[in-house]
Amino acid sequence: MMLPYLIIIPLFGAFATPIVGLAGRKAREPWAIFITALTLGVAAELFYTVWKSGEILVYTLGAKSPLGQGVGFPIRIVWEVDLLGALFALMVTFIAFVAVLYSSEYMKHDTGLEKYYTLVLVLEVGMLGIAITGDLFNFYVFLEIMSIASYALVAFRNDTWEGIEAGIKYMFTGSLASSFILLGIVLLYGQYGTLTMAYLAKMIAENPTFTAKVALGLLAGGLLFKSGAVPVHMWLADAHPAAPSSISAMLSGLVIKIGGTYALARLAFSVFGMGVSTKTVGWIIILFACATLIVGNAMAIIQTDMKRLFAFSSVGQIGYILLGIGIGLAAYGSDVGNVALAGAIYHTVNHAIMKALLFLVAGAVIHQLGTKNLNELSGIARKMPVTSFAFLVGAAAIIGLPPLNGFASKWLIYESSALFNPFLAAIAIIGTAFCTAAYIRVLFTFFGRPSERVMNATEPGKAMLVPMLILVLAIIVMGLFPWVISEKVMIPAAKTLENAGAYVTALLGGA
Amino acid sequence: MIPFQFITAFLLMTMGIYALLYKRNLIKLVLALDIIDSGIHLLLISFGYRIEAGQIPTAPIYTGYETVKSAMVAPLPQALTLTSIVIGVCVLSLAMALTINAYRHYGSLDVNKLRRLRG
Repeated sequence: MMLPYLIIIPLFGAFATPIVGLAGRKAREPWAIFITALTLGVAAELFYTVWKSGEILVYTLGAKSPLGQGVGFPIRIVWEVDLLGALFALMVTFIAFVAVLYSSEYMKHDTGLEKYYTLVLVLEVGMLGIAITGDLFNFYVFLEIMSIASYALVAFRNDTWEGIEAGIKYMFTGSLASSFILLGIVLLYGQYGTLTMAYLAKMIAENPTFTAKVALGLLAGGLLFKSGAVPVHMWLADAHPAAPSSISAMLSGLVIKIGGTYALARLAFSVFGMGVSTKTVGWIIILFACATLIVGNAMAIIQTDMKRLFAFSSVGQIGYILLGIGIGLAAYGSDVGNVALAGAIYHTVNHAIMKALLFLVAGAVIHQLGTKNLNELSGIARKMPVTSFAFLVGAAAIIGLPPLNGFASKWLIYESSALFNPFLAAIAIIGTAFCTAAYIRVLFTFFGRPSERVMNATEPGKAMLVPMLILVLAIIVMGLFPWVISEKVMIPAAKTLENAGAYVTALLGGA
Repeated sequence: MIPFQFITAFLLMTMGIYALLYKRNLIKLVLALDIIDSGIHLLLISFGYRIEAGQIPTAPIYTGYETVKSAMVAPLPQALTLTSIVIGVCVLSLAMALTINAYRHYGSLDVNKLRRLRG
């Protein structure tokens, strides 16, 4: 079974990086690229296995069976991977590989790079762990691994005040959110005496107490904090622009989704789905989603800092994903809910690719010109045509133009929200209008009249262009077969997430 | 009746959150994070021990296994608390490192001075 290697390889790679770095400065970039490529291979294999068999893989740490000797309930830490977890593991490894490839040139002028690559790989471990875990405390540990690595990476350039200030803001809000999540887990443990998610789901279904609802509130609050939903999105707009661009791509593309919306969906469906009223929980998430959609996209319009604009746009896109999850919960079991959830999953994958591409473009501009102020970047398309083309594709995809991948996922969300409640569809369309306005503005800047500063610009090196082109290719290929992907991968993934009974049976057997 | 250790734990958490919201010194904020964590640890560790009728209550980490077999406490909360403490130390040391760097850049520990990022 390949599943343990998904954690072993990047974890080993992370802590071997300083040792490899002793062999010379040239050694650690190929090492980090090699490790992330290997992890990508393992994740692809895992995804193919799970997708082909349609089963849920269960791996018990340290024993053959999760059940204790002589007792009928699980006592060990388990990893439980369904199609959704495998899909997100693949997404994480792909974006991490691209970001590391990009870093090999982008970070060339920084010092302390062995620490940088160690932290990047640790960040990847944390996200992969969240995607595959089936144990609540294990989930918390991986969440903290991910969070601590991302606090450190936001403040990586500690010679600038920007990184430090953003790091401190991110760290305090993030730690408070982690404390809420831990408190929720502790309350669940105190009530039910178990931490295995599948067994907990069964216990909550049998006896949903008030404590369980309080715990759900705390967990959901903490995870909404981590995903950057309005009204607690301010840290995101500070932290994501201040990080190095390759890290921004991972933070905006992956961290807020794996550690925010994915974990929220997993807890709401698989753990609490059978015990609490999904309608109420769904509507609460929908309310946050609507606020997030409008505020995030509207704030993006007025930004003059390119990376800050992209960060606010991330807030807006998280709104779409939350809307999909919320409708999926509120219309639990119906076709509308299924389509909405599939749209949310599809949009998560799409947005990871698009936003990673946009941040890599921003990084290329910063690397070549030393500024990210939109007022100084006029006419960059003349001097950096490939970069501008990558931006054009990314922006068109994030707006949702038909031949690209963003269209299909947004269409699924619009369609299901219109069927569920036309008012929500209207809000989603207004959000897209704001989003379009923000990106059109950047587009005009890029293709406008060249300014003084831009005249001397050149294209970045190959190590930065190739990752961008890989992502452009991914966007175009995914855009060519949107309905095939949606039928074959996204709808089954949504179905496995909705089918909480199967999640329990896979672990406990029988029943 | 709610056991007193639960009340203490929630009191600690409330104190920590109050300090996090209303204090301005960065080091006090770091301490506030630690106090919230301590409250949660206290809550967690006190779940491990259930006071049985007719027996003398002892500290939750004391097993008393030698005399009364049924008085042994569940070992899981202790393991969880230890893990959580280790994570807490990581966060705390990172927070202190960032605080030192902030003092270098801003010449002050006042969190209201960290307001240069705007937009």
